[in-house]
Amino acid sequence: MRKRSPWVKSALPVSALLLSSSALLLPSSSAYAASCCGGGNSSSLVLPKFGNQMIDVSVDIEDYKGYWNQDGDYKKDPQGSDLNQYRLNMGYAFRIADNWQANVIVPYVWNDNTYPGITSKENGLGDASVSFWYETFDQVTCVYQVNSIEDLRPAIYVGGTLTVPTGKSAYGDDATSSFDITGRGLYRFDANLLIEKTVYPFTVTLQGSYGKYLERDVNQEYGTAIEPYKKNLGDRKFISASLGYTYFLEELDTVTFTAALSDLREDEGEIDGVSDPLTEFKKQSTALTTAYATSDLRWVFKGTWSHALREDGKGQNFPTTDIFTLGVSYAFY
Amino acid sequence: MRFIKLLFILLTLFTLTGCLDDLTSDSKDKRSDTSTGGDNAAPALDFTELSTENETIQLSSELLNHDAVVLYYTMWCPLCDSHMSHMRSNIIDNYSNVRFLMVDYVSGTVSQSRSSQVSNGYASLTVLADTDQSLVDQFNATMGTTVVIDDQNNILMNEDYKNGARLIDVLEAL
Repeated sequence: MRKRSPWVKSALPVSALLLSSSALLLPSSSAYAASCCGGGNSSSLVLPKFGNQMIDVSVDIEDYKGYWNQDGDYKKDPQGSDLNQYRLNMGYAFRIADNWQANVIVPYVWNDNTYPGITSKENGLGDASVSFWYETFDQVTCVYQVNSIEDLRPAIYVGGTLTVPTGKSAYGDDATSSFDITGRGLYRFDANLLIEKTVYPFTVTLQGSYGKYLERDVNQEYGTAIEPYKKNLGDRKFISASLGYTYFLEELDTVTFTAALSDLREDEGEIDGVSDPLTEFKKQSTALTTAYATSDLRWVFKGTWSHALREDGKGQNFPTTDIFTLGVSYAFY
Repeated sequence: MRFIKLLFILLTLFTLTGCLDDLTSDSKDKRSDTSTGGDNAAPALDFTELSTENETIQLSSELLNHDAVVLYYTMWCPLCDSHMSHMRSNIIDNYSNVRFLMVDYVSGTVSQSRSSQVSNGYASLTVLADTDQSLVDQFNATMGTTVVIDDQNNILMNEDYKNGARLIDVLEAL
Protein backbone atom coordinates (compact mmCIF):
# COMPACT_ATOMS: atom_id res chain seq x y z
CA MET A 1 0.00 0.00 0.00
CA ARG A 2 1.40 3.28 -1.00
CA LYS A 3 -0.04 6.55 -0.08
CA ARG A 4 0.69 10.16 -0.29
CA SER A 5 0.43 13.04 2.04
CA PRO A 6 0.24 16.68 1.24
CA TRP A 7 3.21 18.91 1.13
CA VAL A 8 2.86 22.59 1.20
CA LYS A 9 5.04 25.06 -0.41
CA SER A 10 5.71 28.50 0.83
CA ALA A 11 4.79 31.38 -1.33
CA LEU A 12 7.68 32.75 -3.22
CA PRO A 13 7.45 36.26 -4.27
CA VAL A 14 7.56 36.82 -7.91
CA SER A 15 9.56 39.72 -6.78
CA ALA A 16 9.79 41.92 -3.91
CA LEU A 17 8.46 44.43 -6.28
CA LEU A 18 5.33 42.84 -7.23
CA LEU A 19 4.80 42.82 -3.76
CA SER A 20 2.36 45.04 -2.50
CA SER A 21 1.20 45.50 -5.83
CA SER A 22 1.78 42.59 -7.69
CA ALA A 23 4.24 40.42 -6.96
CA LEU A 24 6.47 39.24 -5.57
CA LEU A 25 7.89 38.37 -5.78
CA LEU A 26 8.82 37.29 -5.73
CA PRO A 27 8.01 33.45 -7.38
CA SER A 28 4.77 31.40 -7.67
CA SER A 29 3.36 29.30 -4.94
CA SER A 30 2.06 25.84 -5.33
CA ALA A 31 0.78 23.06 -3.22
CA TYR A 32 1.43 19.54 -4.18
CA ALA A 33 0.74 16.24 -2.64
CA ALA A 34 3.94 14.58 -1.56
CA SER A 35 5.21 11.65 0.33
CA CYS A 36 7.63 8.84 0.14
CA CYS A 37 5.13 7.55 -2.32
CA GLY A 38 5.28 10.68 -4.40
CA GLY A 39 3.99 14.18 -4.58
CA GLY A 40 5.92 17.36 -4.47
CA ASN A 41 7.76 20.01 -2.60
CA SER A 42 8.20 23.71 -2.55
CA SER A 43 10.05 24.06 -5.76
CA SER A 44 9.02 21.16 -7.87
CA LEU A 45 6.95 18.10 -8.29
CA VAL A 46 8.03 14.79 -6.89
CA LEU A 47 7.00 11.64 -8.69
CA PRO A 48 5.69 8.64 -6.80
CA LYS A 49 8.45 6.10 -6.33
CA PHE A 50 7.17 3.86 -9.07
CA GLY A 51 5.71 6.55 -11.26
CA ASN A 52 7.03 7.24 -14.73
CA GLN A 53 5.45 10.58 -15.44
CA MET A 54 3.13 13.03 -13.80
CA ILE A 55 1.18 16.05 -14.93
CA ASP A 56 0.27 18.61 -12.30
CA VAL A 57 -1.88 21.67 -12.78
CA SER A 58 -2.75 24.10 -10.04
CA VAL A 59 -4.24 27.54 -9.65
CA ASP A 60 -3.10 30.02 -7.01
CA ILE A 61 -5.18 32.91 -5.80
CA GLU A 62 -2.96 35.22 -3.79
CA ASP A 63 -4.61 37.98 -1.81
CA TYR A 64 -2.31 40.75 -0.53
CA LYS A 65 -3.12 42.02 2.92
CA GLY A 66 -0.51 44.46 4.12
CA TYR A 67 3.19 43.93 4.63
CA TRP A 68 6.03 43.82 7.11
CA ASN A 69 8.30 46.82 6.92
CA GLN A 70 12.07 46.94 7.28
CA ASP A 71 11.76 46.82 11.06
CA GLY A 72 9.44 43.81 10.97
CA ASP A 73 6.35 45.81 11.90
CA TYR A 74 3.12 44.81 10.22
CA LYS A 75 1.51 47.57 8.13
CA LYS A 76 -1.81 47.60 6.35
CA ASP A 77 -2.20 48.35 2.65
CA PRO A 78 -3.79 51.67 1.74
CA GLN A 79 -7.45 51.78 2.62
CA GLY A 80 -9.63 50.83 -0.32
CA SER A 81 -6.95 48.81 -2.08
CA ASP A 82 -7.54 45.29 -3.37
CA LEU A 83 -4.36 43.59 -4.54
CA ASN A 84 -4.35 40.13 -6.04
CA GLN A 85 -2.23 37.84 -8.12
CA TYR A 86 -3.49 34.71 -9.85
CA ARG A 87 -1.21 31.98 -11.16
CA LEU A 88 -1.76 28.93 -13.32
CA ASN A 89 1.06 26.48 -12.64
CA MET A 90 1.65 23.80 -15.23
CA GLY A 91 4.00 21.04 -14.14
CA TYR A 92 5.37 17.92 -15.74
CA ALA A 93 7.56 15.36 -13.97
CA PHE A 94 9.20 12.32 -15.45
CA ARG A 95 11.53 9.56 -14.36
CA ILE A 96 14.95 9.51 -15.94
CA ALA A 97 16.40 6.54 -14.02
CA ASP A 98 15.42 4.23 -11.18
CA ASN A 99 16.22 6.77 -8.48
CA TRP A 100 16.34 9.92 -10.57
CA GLN A 101 13.55 12.16 -11.72
CA ALA A 102 13.19 15.59 -13.29
CA ASN A 103 10.44 18.10 -13.72
CA VAL A 104 9.52 21.41 -15.27
CA ILE A 105 7.04 23.96 -13.91
CA VAL A 106 5.85 26.88 -16.00
CA PRO A 107 3.55 29.45 -14.36
CA TYR A 108 1.34 32.00 -16.05
CA VAL A 109 0.58 35.06 -13.93
CA TRP A 110 -2.23 37.58 -13.78
CA ASN A 111 -1.78 40.73 -11.68
CA ASP A 112 -5.01 42.40 -10.63
CA ASN A 113 -4.53 45.50 -8.52
CA THR A 114 -6.99 48.15 -7.46
CA TYR A 115 -6.08 51.21 -5.44
CA PRO A 116 -8.45 54.09 -4.77
CA GLY A 117 -6.61 56.09 -7.41
CA ILE A 118 -5.48 53.53 -9.94
CA THR A 119 -6.46 50.15 -11.35
CA SER A 120 -4.27 47.72 -13.22
CA LYS A 121 -4.72 44.29 -14.80
CA GLU A 122 -1.67 42.73 -16.42
CA ASN A 123 -0.55 39.21 -17.22
CA GLY A 124 2.35 37.22 -18.57
CA LEU A 125 4.55 34.18 -18.21
CA GLY A 126 6.12 33.77 -14.77
CA ASP A 127 9.58 32.44 -13.91
CA ALA A 128 9.84 28.79 -14.90
CA SER A 129 11.80 26.16 -12.99
CA VAL A 130 13.58 22.95 -13.87
CA SER A 131 14.39 20.44 -11.12
CA PHE A 132 16.25 17.20 -10.68
CA TRP A 133 15.78 14.87 -7.72
CA TYR A 134 17.71 11.88 -6.45
CA GLU A 135 15.87 9.39 -4.26
CA THR A 136 18.18 7.91 -1.63
CA PHE A 137 15.93 4.89 -1.11
CA ASP A 138 15.05 1.96 -3.31
CA GLN A 139 11.77 0.94 -1.74
CA VAL A 140 8.80 2.82 -0.41
CA THR A 141 9.45 3.74 3.21
CA CYS A 142 5.87 4.28 4.38
CA VAL A 143 4.88 1.75 7.03
CA TYR A 144 1.84 0.89 9.09
CA GLN A 145 3.75 -0.32 12.10
CA VAL A 146 7.22 0.11 13.42
CA ASN A 147 8.56 -3.36 14.08
CA SER A 148 12.25 -2.73 13.61
CA ILE A 149 14.71 0.08 13.41
CA GLU A 150 14.65 -0.28 9.64
CA ASP A 151 10.98 0.73 9.66
CA LEU A 152 12.01 4.16 10.91
CA ARG A 153 14.04 4.90 7.83
CA PRO A 154 12.69 8.04 6.15
CA ALA A 155 12.42 8.86 2.51
CA ILE A 156 15.14 11.36 1.65
CA TYR A 157 15.25 13.28 -1.58
CA VAL A 158 18.19 15.43 -2.62
CA GLY A 159 17.73 17.78 -5.52
CA GLY A 160 18.46 20.94 -7.36
CA THR A 161 16.22 23.54 -8.96
CA LEU A 162 17.12 26.07 -11.59
CA THR A 163 14.75 29.02 -11.74
CA VAL A 164 14.79 30.61 -15.17
CA PRO A 165 13.76 34.28 -15.59
CA THR A 166 11.04 33.76 -18.16
CA GLY A 167 8.73 36.26 -16.47
CA LYS A 168 8.52 39.99 -17.07
CA SER A 169 10.94 41.82 -14.79
CA ALA A 170 11.81 45.47 -14.27
CA TYR A 171 14.94 44.95 -16.38
CA GLY A 172 13.47 43.56 -19.59
CA ASP A 173 11.67 45.10 -22.53
CA ASP A 174 8.19 44.01 -21.54
CA ALA A 175 7.53 45.79 -18.25
CA THR A 176 6.88 49.52 -18.17
CA SER A 177 5.55 49.70 -14.63
CA SER A 178 5.69 47.66 -11.44
CA PHE A 179 2.20 46.39 -12.17
CA ASP A 180 3.54 44.46 -15.18
CA ILE A 181 6.04 42.38 -13.25
CA THR A 182 5.64 38.61 -13.28
CA GLY A 183 9.24 37.54 -12.60
CA ARG A 184 12.41 38.55 -10.79
CA GLY A 185 14.74 38.76 -13.76
CA LEU A 186 17.59 36.64 -12.37
CA TYR A 187 18.57 32.99 -12.61
CA ARG A 188 18.70 31.13 -9.32
CA PHE A 189 19.92 27.68 -8.35
CA ASP A 190 18.53 26.01 -5.24
CA ALA A 191 19.91 22.95 -3.53
CA ASN A 192 16.99 21.06 -2.01
CA LEU A 193 16.60 18.47 0.70
CA LEU A 194 13.31 16.72 1.47
CA ILE A 195 12.96 14.26 4.34
CA GLU A 196 9.72 12.49 4.93
CA LYS A 197 8.48 9.68 7.10
CA THR A 198 5.07 8.07 7.11
CA VAL A 199 3.85 5.74 9.82
CA TYR A 200 0.21 5.57 9.02
CA PRO A 201 -1.84 7.53 9.65
CA PHE A 202 0.81 10.19 10.35
CA THR A 203 3.34 11.79 8.04
CA VAL A 204 6.10 14.15 9.09
CA THR A 205 7.98 16.14 6.51
CA LEU A 206 10.96 18.45 6.73
CA GLN A 207 12.25 20.41 3.82
CA GLY A 208 14.99 22.91 3.27
CA SER A 209 16.57 24.67 0.36
CA TYR A 210 19.43 27.07 -0.18
CA GLY A 211 19.48 29.21 -3.28
CA LYS A 212 22.02 31.45 -4.96
CA TYR A 213 21.23 33.97 -7.66
CA LEU A 214 23.39 34.55 -10.69
CA GLU A 215 24.55 38.14 -11.03
CA ARG A 216 23.25 39.93 -14.11
CA ASP A 217 23.81 43.12 -16.07
CA VAL A 218 21.09 45.75 -16.04
CA ASN A 219 20.96 48.49 -18.64
CA GLN A 220 17.30 49.48 -18.43
CA GLU A 221 14.55 49.74 -15.85
CA TYR A 222 10.92 49.56 -16.89
CA GLY A 223 11.96 50.10 -20.50
CA THR A 224 14.05 53.22 -19.85
CA ALA A 225 17.77 53.09 -20.58
CA ILE A 226 19.94 53.83 -17.56
CA GLU A 227 23.63 53.73 -16.71
CA PRO A 228 24.48 50.00 -16.77
CA TYR A 229 25.18 48.22 -13.52
CA LYS A 230 25.49 44.71 -12.16
CA LYS A 231 22.77 43.39 -9.88
CA ASN A 232 22.52 40.39 -7.66
CA LEU A 233 20.05 39.28 -5.04
CA GLY A 234 20.95 37.71 -1.72
CA ASP A 235 21.09 34.02 -0.91
CA ARG A 236 17.69 32.48 -0.32
CA LYS A 237 16.95 30.11 2.55
CA PHE A 238 13.77 28.15 2.94
CA ILE A 239 12.76 25.68 5.63
CA SER A 240 9.44 24.03 6.32
CA ALA A 241 8.00 21.39 8.59
CA SER A 242 4.65 19.69 8.28
CA LEU A 243 2.50 17.06 9.95
CA GLY A 244 -0.15 15.13 8.08
CA TYR A 245 -2.95 12.76 9.05
CA THR A 246 -4.49 10.33 6.60
CA TYR A 247 -7.96 8.84 6.55
CA PHE A 248 -8.63 5.77 4.47
CA LEU A 249 -11.90 5.79 2.61
CA GLU A 250 -13.76 2.96 0.99
CA GLU A 251 -11.80 1.19 -1.71
CA LEU A 252 -8.65 2.63 -0.17
CA ASP A 253 -8.98 6.12 -1.54
CA THR A 254 -7.48 8.54 0.96
CA VAL A 255 -7.97 12.00 2.34
CA THR A 256 -4.98 13.62 4.01
CA PHE A 257 -4.94 16.76 6.11
CA THR A 258 -1.65 18.51 6.61
CA ALA A 259 -0.52 21.51 8.64
CA ALA A 260 2.77 23.20 7.81
CA LEU A 261 5.00 25.97 9.11
CA SER A 262 7.54 27.62 6.86
CA ASP A 263 10.21 30.27 6.98
CA LEU A 264 11.60 31.98 3.90
CA ARG A 265 14.48 34.45 3.96
CA GLU A 266 16.65 36.25 1.48
CA ASP A 267 19.90 38.01 2.34
CA GLU A 268 21.11 41.39 1.19
CA GLY A 269 21.61 41.84 -2.53
CA GLU A 270 24.44 43.64 -4.30
CA ILE A 271 24.64 46.45 -6.82
CA ASP A 272 27.99 46.79 -8.56
CA GLY A 273 29.43 44.72 -5.74
CA VAL A 274 28.12 47.08 -3.07
CA SER A 275 25.68 45.79 -0.48
CA ASP A 276 21.98 46.38 -1.13
CA PRO A 277 20.27 45.72 2.20
CA LEU A 278 16.94 46.98 0.90
CA THR A 279 16.18 43.71 -0.89
CA GLU A 280 16.65 41.58 2.24
CA PHE A 281 13.41 39.98 3.43
CA LYS A 282 11.84 37.39 5.70
CA LYS A 283 8.47 35.68 5.68
CA GLN A 284 6.93 33.18 8.07
CA SER A 285 3.71 31.45 7.20
CA THR A 286 1.41 28.56 7.99
CA ALA A 287 -0.53 26.35 5.63
CA LEU A 288 -3.32 23.83 5.72
CA THR A 289 -3.75 21.33 2.92
CA THR A 290 -6.37 18.75 2.12
CA ALA A 291 -5.60 16.14 -0.52
CA TYR A 292 -7.77 13.41 -1.94
CA ALA A 293 -5.99 10.54 -3.67
CA THR A 294 -7.46 7.63 -5.54
CA SER A 295 -6.37 4.20 -4.40
CA ASP A 296 -4.29 3.64 -7.52
CA LEU A 297 -2.54 6.95 -6.80
CA ARG A 298 -3.10 8.16 -10.31
CA TRP A 299 -5.28 11.09 -9.38
CA VAL A 300 -4.66 13.54 -6.57
CA PHE A 301 -6.87 16.55 -5.93
CA LYS A 302 -5.67 19.09 -3.42
CA GLY A 303 -6.50 22.40 -1.88
CA THR A 304 -4.28 24.61 0.25
CA TRP A 305 -4.68 27.72 2.30
CA SER A 306 -1.38 29.41 3.06
CA HIS A 307 -1.47 32.23 5.54
CA ALA A 308 1.30 34.70 6.33
CA LEU A 309 1.42 35.54 10.01
CA ARG A 310 0.20 39.11 10.32
CA GLU A 311 2.14 39.96 13.42
CA ASP A 312 5.13 42.13 14.14
CA GLY A 313 8.37 40.19 13.88
CA LYS A 314 7.01 37.40 11.69
CA GLY A 315 8.43 38.92 8.55
CA GLN A 316 10.47 41.76 7.17
CA ASN A 317 10.26 43.85 4.03
CA PHE A 318 7.69 41.55 2.48
CA PRO A 319 3.97 41.46 1.74
CA THR A 320 1.67 39.39 3.90
CA THR A 321 -0.67 37.33 1.80
CA ASP A 322 -3.20 34.56 1.86
CA ILE A 323 -2.77 32.02 -0.91
CA PHE A 324 -5.54 29.66 -1.91
CA THR A 325 -4.44 26.86 -4.17
CA LEU A 326 -6.46 24.26 -6.00
CA GLY A 327 -4.65 21.60 -7.94
CA VAL A 328 -4.87 18.22 -9.58
CA SER A 329 -2.21 15.78 -10.64
CA TYR A 330 -2.25 12.62 -12.67
CA ALA A 331 0.51 10.04 -12.52
CA PHE A 332 1.42 7.53 -15.20
CA TYR A 333 2.78 4.15 -14.11
CA MET B 1 6.36 7.71 -24.16
CA ARG B 2 9.82 8.93 -25.02
CA PHE B 3 8.30 10.99 -27.75
CA ILE B 4 6.01 12.71 -25.27
CA LYS B 5 8.98 13.50 -23.05
CA LEU B 6 10.95 14.84 -25.97
CA LEU B 7 8.03 16.90 -27.18
CA PHE B 8 7.54 18.42 -23.78
CA ILE B 9 11.22 19.25 -23.43
CA LEU B 10 11.27 20.86 -26.85
CA LEU B 11 8.17 22.87 -26.11
CA THR B 12 9.72 24.01 -22.87
CA LEU B 13 12.98 25.00 -24.53
CA PHE B 14 11.06 26.90 -27.15
CA THR B 15 9.15 28.72 -24.48
CA LEU B 16 12.27 29.51 -22.53
CA THR B 17 14.25 30.80 -25.48
CA GLY B 18 11.57 32.69 -27.37
CA CYS B 19 11.92 36.45 -27.17
CA LEU B 20 12.48 36.49 -23.42
CA ASP B 21 15.11 39.15 -22.98
CA ASP B 22 15.79 38.48 -19.30
CA LEU B 23 17.33 35.14 -20.26
CA THR B 24 20.42 36.93 -21.54
CA SER B 25 21.26 40.16 -19.76
CA ASP B 26 22.94 43.00 -21.61
CA SER B 27 25.64 45.35 -20.33
CA LYS B 28 25.54 47.64 -23.35
CA ASP B 29 24.82 51.28 -22.54
CA LYS B 30 21.62 52.06 -24.45
CA ARG B 31 21.37 55.68 -23.41
CA SER B 32 21.47 58.43 -26.03
CA ASP B 33 22.11 62.16 -25.77
CA THR B 34 18.38 62.64 -25.26
CA SER B 35 18.28 60.25 -22.32
CA THR B 36 18.26 61.55 -18.77
CA GLY B 37 21.57 63.30 -18.13
CA GLY B 38 22.35 63.51 -21.87
CA ASP B 39 23.41 66.71 -23.64
CA ASN B 40 20.12 67.04 -25.45
CA ALA B 41 17.88 65.75 -22.71
CA ALA B 42 14.60 67.57 -22.33
CA PRO B 43 14.38 69.88 -19.30
CA ALA B 44 11.83 69.24 -16.61
CA LEU B 45 8.50 70.90 -17.23
CA ASP B 46 7.08 72.91 -14.40
CA PHE B 47 4.30 71.34 -12.36
CA THR B 48 2.01 72.28 -9.50
CA GLU B 49 0.70 69.65 -7.10
CA LEU B 50 -1.12 69.61 -3.79
CA SER B 51 0.64 68.11 -0.81
CA THR B 52 -1.16 65.95 1.74
CA GLU B 53 -1.19 68.94 4.07
CA ASN B 54 -2.98 70.96 1.40
CA GLU B 55 0.08 73.00 0.56
CA THR B 56 0.51 73.96 -3.08
CA ILE B 57 3.91 72.83 -4.31
CA GLN B 58 5.30 74.23 -7.56
CA LEU B 59 8.50 72.87 -9.03
CA SER B 60 9.78 76.21 -10.25
CA SER B 61 9.23 77.81 -6.86
CA GLU B 62 11.03 75.00 -5.10
CA LEU B 63 13.97 75.28 -7.45
CA LEU B 64 14.28 79.00 -6.70
CA ASN B 65 15.05 78.16 -3.09
CA HIS B 66 16.83 74.84 -3.38
CA ASP B 67 19.75 73.33 -5.27
CA ALA B 68 17.57 70.48 -6.46
CA VAL B 69 14.27 68.69 -6.04
CA VAL B 70 14.07 64.94 -5.45
CA LEU B 71 10.87 63.12 -6.30
CA TYR B 72 10.32 59.62 -4.96
CA TYR B 73 7.31 57.61 -6.16
CA THR B 74 5.61 55.50 -3.50
CA MET B 75 2.66 53.14 -3.43
CA TRP B 76 3.12 52.32 0.28
CA CYS B 77 4.57 48.91 -0.43
CA PRO B 78 7.35 47.01 1.37
CA LEU B 79 9.99 48.07 -1.10
CA CYS B 80 8.75 51.66 -1.06
CA ASP B 81 8.95 51.60 2.71
CA SER B 82 12.53 50.29 2.55
CA HIS B 83 13.51 53.04 0.16
CA MET B 84 11.80 55.81 2.09
CA SER B 85 13.14 54.61 5.40
CA HIS B 86 16.66 54.46 3.97
CA MET B 87 16.33 57.89 2.41
CA ARG B 88 15.08 59.42 5.63
CA SER B 89 17.79 57.81 7.74
CA ASN B 90 20.76 58.20 5.44
CA ILE B 91 20.22 60.97 2.92
CA ILE B 92 17.66 63.66 3.61
CA ASP B 93 19.37 65.28 6.58
CA ASN B 94 22.69 65.43 4.73
CA TYR B 95 21.36 67.70 1.99
CA SER B 96 19.59 70.56 3.67
CA ASN B 97 19.30 72.60 0.49
CA VAL B 98 17.63 69.84 -1.48
CA ARG B 99 13.84 69.52 -1.42
CA PHE B 100 12.66 65.91 -0.98
CA LEU B 101 9.12 65.23 -2.13
CA MET B 102 7.40 61.85 -1.96
CA VAL B 103 4.81 61.23 -4.68
CA ASP B 104 1.77 59.08 -3.79
CA TYR B 105 0.14 58.10 -7.07
CA VAL B 106 -2.22 55.37 -5.81
CA SER B 107 -4.36 56.82 -3.04
CA GLY B 108 -6.71 58.82 -5.21
CA THR B 109 -7.47 61.65 -2.81
CA VAL B 110 -5.46 64.03 -0.67
CA SER B 111 -7.10 62.82 2.52
CA GLN B 112 -6.51 59.15 1.69
CA SER B 113 -2.94 59.93 0.79
CA ARG B 114 -2.42 61.67 4.11
CA SER B 115 -3.94 58.69 5.90
CA SER B 116 -1.54 56.29 4.19
CA GLN B 117 1.36 58.59 4.91
CA VAL B 118 0.60 58.76 8.62
CA SER B 119 -0.21 55.07 9.05
CA ASN B 120 3.06 54.14 7.39
CA GLY B 121 5.03 56.41 9.69
CA TYR B 122 6.06 59.18 7.33
CA ALA B 123 4.03 62.08 8.68
CA SER B 124 7.05 64.37 8.78
CA LEU B 125 7.88 64.05 5.07
CA THR B 126 6.27 66.13 2.36
CA VAL B 127 4.02 63.93 0.21
CA LEU B 128 2.45 65.06 -3.03
CA ALA B 129 -0.96 63.57 -3.78
CA ASP B 130 -0.71 62.75 -7.48
CA THR B 131 -4.40 61.93 -7.72
CA ASP B 132 -4.54 62.06 -11.52
CA GLN B 133 -1.13 60.43 -12.09
CA SER B 134 0.07 63.52 -13.89
CA LEU B 135 3.48 63.26 -12.26
CA VAL B 136 3.65 59.58 -13.14
CA ASP B 137 3.00 60.44 -16.76
CA GLN B 138 5.33 63.44 -16.81
CA PHE B 139 8.35 61.46 -15.62
CA ASN B 140 7.31 58.03 -16.91
CA ALA B 141 7.55 56.87 -13.32
CA THR B 142 6.51 53.79 -11.39
CA MET B 143 7.05 52.30 -7.94
CA GLY B 144 10.45 53.31 -6.57
CA THR B 145 11.28 55.77 -9.31
CA THR B 146 13.59 58.52 -8.08
CA VAL B 147 13.91 61.75 -10.01
CA VAL B 148 16.45 64.50 -9.38
CA ILE B 149 15.95 67.92 -10.97
CA ASP B 150 18.58 70.60 -10.48
CA ASP B 151 18.00 74.35 -10.26
CA GLN B 152 18.58 74.67 -13.99
CA ASN B 153 15.63 72.36 -14.68
CA ASN B 154 17.93 69.57 -15.78
CA ILE B 155 16.75 66.04 -14.96
CA LEU B 156 19.89 64.51 -13.54
CA MET B 157 18.44 61.15 -12.56
CA ASN B 158 15.30 59.19 -13.33
CA GLU B 159 15.57 55.55 -12.26
CA ASP B 160 14.82 53.12 -9.46
CA TYR B 161 16.10 54.03 -6.00
CA LYS B 162 17.85 50.66 -5.53
CA ASN B 163 20.25 51.03 -2.56
CA GLY B 164 20.36 54.83 -2.74
CA ALA B 165 23.98 54.96 -3.93
CA ARG B 166 23.11 56.55 -7.26
CA LEU B 167 21.04 59.22 -5.58
CA ILE B 168 23.88 60.07 -3.24
CA ASP B 169 26.32 60.29 -6.16
CA VAL B 170 24.04 62.70 -8.00
CA LEU B 171 23.42 64.88 -4.95
CA GLU B 172 27.14 64.98 -4.14
CA ALA B 173 27.84 66.28 -7.63
CA LEU B 174 25.43 69.21 -7.37
